[in-house]
Amino acid sequence: MLSRASLLSGQQFKNLLALSARAAATSPVSSAAAGSADSSAVGRPARQEPGKVRLGFLPEEWFTFFYKKTGVTGPYTFAVALSTYLVSKEIYVMEHEYYSGLSLLILCIVGVQKLGPAIAKTLDKGIDEYEAQWNEGRASETNALQAQIKNEEQLQWSAEGQTMLIDAKRENVALQLEAAYRARVQNVYQEVKKRLDYQVEILNIENRINQRNLVDWVVTKVRSSITPDQDKQNIDKCIADLGALAK
Amino acid sequence: MMTNLFSSFDPTASFNMSLNWLSIFLGLFFIPPAYWLIPSRHLWLWYKIIITLHYEFKTLIGNEKKGSTLMMISLFSMIMFNNILGLCPYIFTSTSHLVMTLSLALPMWFSFMIYGWLNNSTHMFAHLVPQGTPNILMPFMVIIETISNIIRPGTLAIRLAANMIAGHLLMTLLGNTGPNLTLIVLNILLILQILLLILESAVAIIQSYVFAILSTLYSSEIH
Repeated sequence: MLSRASLLSGQQFKNLLALSARAAATSPVSSAAAGSADSSAVGRPARQEPGKVRLGFLPEEWFTFFYKKTGVTGPYTFAVALSTYLVSKEIYVMEHEYYSGLSLLILCIVGVQKLGPAIAKTLDKGIDEYEAQWNEGRASETNALQAQIKNEEQLQWSAEGQTMLIDAKRENVALQLEAAYRARVQNVYQEVKKRLDYQVEILNIENRINQRNLVDWVVTKVRSSITPDQDKQNIDKCIADLGALAK
Repeated sequence: MMTNLFSSFDPTASFNMSLNWLSIFLGLFFIPPAYWLIPSRHLWLWYKIIITLHYEFKTLIGNEKKGSTLMMISLFSMIMFNNILGLCPYIFTSTSHLVMTLSLALPMWFSFMIYGWLNNSTHMFAHLVPQGTPNILMPFMVIIETISNIIRPGTLAIRLAANMIAGHLLMTLLGNTGPNLTLIVLNILLILQILLLILESAVAIIQSYVFAILSTLYSSEIH
């Protein structure tokens, strides 16, 4: 691990340091990375893809190493010259392993060229699905939180509406109070009027009774003042009148 | 040049230390690291293989013995890496040697047998007479079944080693004709070798699978 770390570039090395510091520290990685100039740029260390290669497996660095001294063709010339030297001096002997190795090399190259992209596509699809699975939890959490925020905002909006509603209710209550007050005032008026009417009725009745009593007294007085003579004269008069009428 | 037909299998080593056997562990370099949450292509392929094998072996072992597939998958991976890496030139094929294959098969078979004999003795004896055997044949069946049981580690070991030897022998013989051929015939040789290599890669995987699945079957017979 450490030998590989020494090969990494500065930024990658910083990432690695942040990672190792995180493993040892109890505080989260942000505080460990805060020591560098821009903590946001350091971020979370991620899996690195392999570097650039030429001819399928030779590192690009070997060619850049030659480029300054020999130009573009230098490394190829060197490779051909070295292999020619090794073969001609029989340092490398072409025995059966060479031929099987050659066939294996051809097999591998053709296999990688023909099947490589399809396999890589399939594998990448699988990895993407796997990554999507991991992201799914985070995304759904974010969605849920956003829905909560939206809900909260709606609640705040409806709470503002509540004050209006309360004002309206207050007004309504005031109206009800007014109505009740008026109803009571009306009630009082009715009750008082009833009592006054009662008094008036009593007075009327007393007056009527007094009047009748007076009339009765006068009638009895008049009747008692009529004597039997007067009564007889009267009847005689009536009979005389009747006799006169009968004529 | 080869001094005899099998000299390409000779364990040649430096410093008097048989370092060639270290090629057994070359496969470890091909097991991708799993440090990261999101796997690489290589690791994903490896996961897929392992999961497929797990389901394959689980149905054979049954659910009551949990974790046994791990051992069989490890066995498969080890043999497969040895077989396939042995196809590469200049890499010693340890699985073409009985000392390797037998030392895998024999202790495993022995441990299964001892476990069975100690824990399920009746069951193990019952296995010696298959169901529906006529009474008169029973003594012979016991002998035959015993022999077939005893030679199991041998067949496991020899099957693997013989398959590896056969393929490598063909490759070596074909390769040895290389220096004497003209360029046109050499092309034919290369095509032949490529075809043979495809076959051998398949054999390398199949044989390791066979080894692992037979071990699984043997282990499932004891309980």
